Amino acid sequence: MNDPLVIAGRELRSRLITGTGKYSSPEAMRDAVVASGCELVTVAVGRIDLDSVEEAITDHLPEGVTLLPNTAGSATAEEAVRIARLARAGGLPDWIKLEVIPDPRWLLPDPVETLKAAAQLVGEGFTVLPYVLPDPVLQRKLEAVGCAAVMPLASPIGSGSGLKLRHTIEIMVEQAEVPVVVDAGLGAPSHAAEAMELGADAVLVNTAIARADDPAAMARAFRLGVEAGRTARLAGLIEERETAEPSSPLGGLAARP
Amino acid sequence: MTVTVNGRAQEAAPGETVETLLERLGLAARYALVERNGEPVERERYGATALEDGDTLVVARPVAGG
Repeated sequence: MNDPLVIAGRELRSRLITGTGKYSSPEAMRDAVVASGCELVTVAVGRIDLDSVEEAITDHLPEGVTLLPNTAGSATAEEAVRIARLARAGGLPDWIKLEVIPDPRWLLPDPVETLKAAAQLVGEGFTVLPYVLPDPVLQRKLEAVGCAAVMPLASPIGSGSGLKLRHTIEIMVEQAEVPVVVDAGLGAPSHAAEAMELGADAVLVNTAIARADDPAAMARAFRLGVEAGRTARLAGLIEERETAEPSSPLGGLAARP
Repeated sequence: MTVTVNGRAQEAAPGETVETLLERLGLAARYALVERNGEPVERERYGATALEDGDTLVVARPVAGG
């Protein structure tokens, strides 16, 4: 099935994006990324510890994947813009997962600062993919300033709770002008499938894969979940009904009045 | 001269550039990201960017993240 995801004019075969955080080892991360079949992987940007210059994560990623740097650690628009500029100047792609998170307890993104940073970064030529609470009004504003995709959370980062805010994500899908990528909180392949069935264009998964007993197997399971959900969406799901509808003739062989 | 790298003072010889400093610190990795006095330095300019006494540098790179 030729059904590419298109973001900012770039065709991606995989509708699963994975994060690189929380793995027990770089090897486990690499195996999971390969098993996921993803083409985009997120990375954060961090200061190098001069006392222990460890191997770079980029040395462990398989060939052919594209890095999607994020602005993790930013609590304000200004901090996010600083990270994006540093990443691009240093040779990372000019695609940026914009996340502005002032609150460490719930890790929910700040919509005002996110919009401000998005407008600034689009103006500087970045391809901007903002991480947001599911908010159809904010989505419109982010689209208006030129974001390439909008990434609503399913539930808080790392919670594995699935689509707690399903209805507003459905509204976003219905009115979307750029791809909707459900990011954060997906804990099981069934959650990913559900997001794809309701019409999300892609999902981003990190914790549920990285913290599984067998991350590579879970990465494959998410890949299949995403493919199942996408295929079902295109196939056309039946309407839910309040009552039963028989799949077999009711009469059988008995002669009933 | 003295420059500050990730919060730590480092002696630097006259003529030191961003590129030679990174090499000296063992940081010539593929994706070392450098900010000098609050401004990002373009990768293509690492070799041409001469350090000055009192410069403040931040050296970063991609790390695991979601």
